[in-house]
Amino acid sequence: MIWIIPVVIVVIIFWLIGIYNSLVRLRNTRQNAFADIDVQLKQRHDLVPQLVETVKGYATHERELLTRITEARTAAMGATTIDEKIKTETQLSAALQGLKISVEAYPDLKANQNFLQLQEELSDIENKLAAARRYFNAATTEYNTGIETFPSNLIANSFGFQRETLFDLGQERVSFEEPPKISFN
Amino acid sequence: MTYVGIQTQIRRNNFNSVLLVLAFPIVLLGMVYAIIFFSQRQQEVQIVNDTFVRVVPFVILGTTIWFLVAWLIHNSLIRMATGAKPLERIENKRVYNLVENLCISKGMKVPQIYIIEDSSLNAFASGINERTFSVTLSRGIIDKLEDDELEGVIAHELSHIRNRDVRLMIVSIIFVGIFAFVAEMAFRSIRFGALSRGKKDSGIAILVVIVVSAICYLIALLLRFGVSRSREYMADAGAAEMTRKPYALASALRKISSDPLIEAVENRDIAQLFIENPQPEEKKFSFSNLFSTHPPIQKRIELLDQFA
Repeated sequence: MIWIIPVVIVVIIFWLIGIYNSLVRLRNTRQNAFADIDVQLKQRHDLVPQLVETVKGYATHERELLTRITEARTAAMGATTIDEKIKTETQLSAALQGLKISVEAYPDLKANQNFLQLQEELSDIENKLAAARRYFNAATTEYNTGIETFPSNLIANSFGFQRETLFDLGQERVSFEEPPKISFN
Repeated sequence: MTYVGIQTQIRRNNFNSVLLVLAFPIVLLGMVYAIIFFSQRQQEVQIVNDTFVRVVPFVILGTTIWFLVAWLIHNSLIRMATGAKPLERIENKRVYNLVENLCISKGMKVPQIYIIEDSSLNAFASGINERTFSVTLSRGIIDKLEDDELEGVIAHELSHIRNRDVRLMIVSIIFVGIFAFVAEMAFRSIRFGALSRGKKDSGIAILVVIVVSAICYLIALLLRFGVSRSREYMADAGAAEMTRKPYALASALRKISSDPLIEAVENRDIAQLFIENPQPEEKKFSFSNLFSTHPPIQKRIELLDQFA
């Protein structure tokens, strides 16, 4: 019956390899999911300067806000890792949200055809961004669950799999999930 | 009803597809053998076997070609039968936005979108792989539903694609088509044969026809149940999970139930793909209910309302 020992060892090794591979797959899925987000982020980066230019001509008292948006955009474009991107993009989102509220005070701007179109494009991008974030967060949660549950957590710990952050909007969440209120009067 | 999760559903559908593909040649050969056996005058096993061996390569070749052709062009066939056209992106940004956002949130590839110019309300998904997956909507469903409701309908169709329901359906439709063709051929050749041979053999001929049609009917039934009705509930639940608005799909189904018949689509094989497949004539005893491809829409609405 001595042959049973190597058989058991081989089975266990294959089992561990299986767990390791599934963790790698989960991690890659999460990274791929972020690629979807990146597409939308890049479009937003392209849109922001046009938006700032258009607003500049009308909203003369919002220089500070516009500077903040431009700076947030520059910071976001400079970010390289997923964690950095999440942090800087959240700031950009917050700044843009501030702009949405401020423009309420400028009826001329809100009547500007160009501005309306840009705003529509922006809300389109942000809807897609929200969808991509849902997928990314689902993938991240699956990965986190994978590295925290037994027995895969044993493998995860010994091979340096770490818990990853969600693309959460934190405090801002409530105001983002609601569409910007636009009144026409 | 036992609880079936989405991963289980995908696995089960893939398994059933493979099972269908494997079972099909066996059943078909059995059927060919039966036809040869009963159409021989002497019914001597030796002659029957010889004929069978001679015929088999042709049968296999024929069905393989048929299957490959159907596999390759079924999308255009369905499009032709339903009169669906590609949906223009520029004029229908709303629809494209809804589809794309849903796909992004599930990380799936965006399917092609088609439209049927018909004022009634219906929709279906089709395709067998990432390249051919498509969602077809009627003009009525796009125009008459609110954004949330249309989103629910699209999510239902995307769930069919995600669950791999569509592939199983297409496979079963192709098989039923082949069986119908073979049965038709046998029916005709026997009828002509019986006529030329005189009345003596017509009893056997009738028997053959009965046997053949019984087998075909049985197989069609098995296929129908193989692609069971629970997939509609699954797709409804999947849609509710995708949009997080079960009430929107419920209200969409309510609107759809008022006018789901696309008059142009008479082919029952294709009609079973739709989000709602109404039975044109109501029978008192619900025999049609037993064999219908879709659960009663009222029941689906009730289930969705429970979610909300």
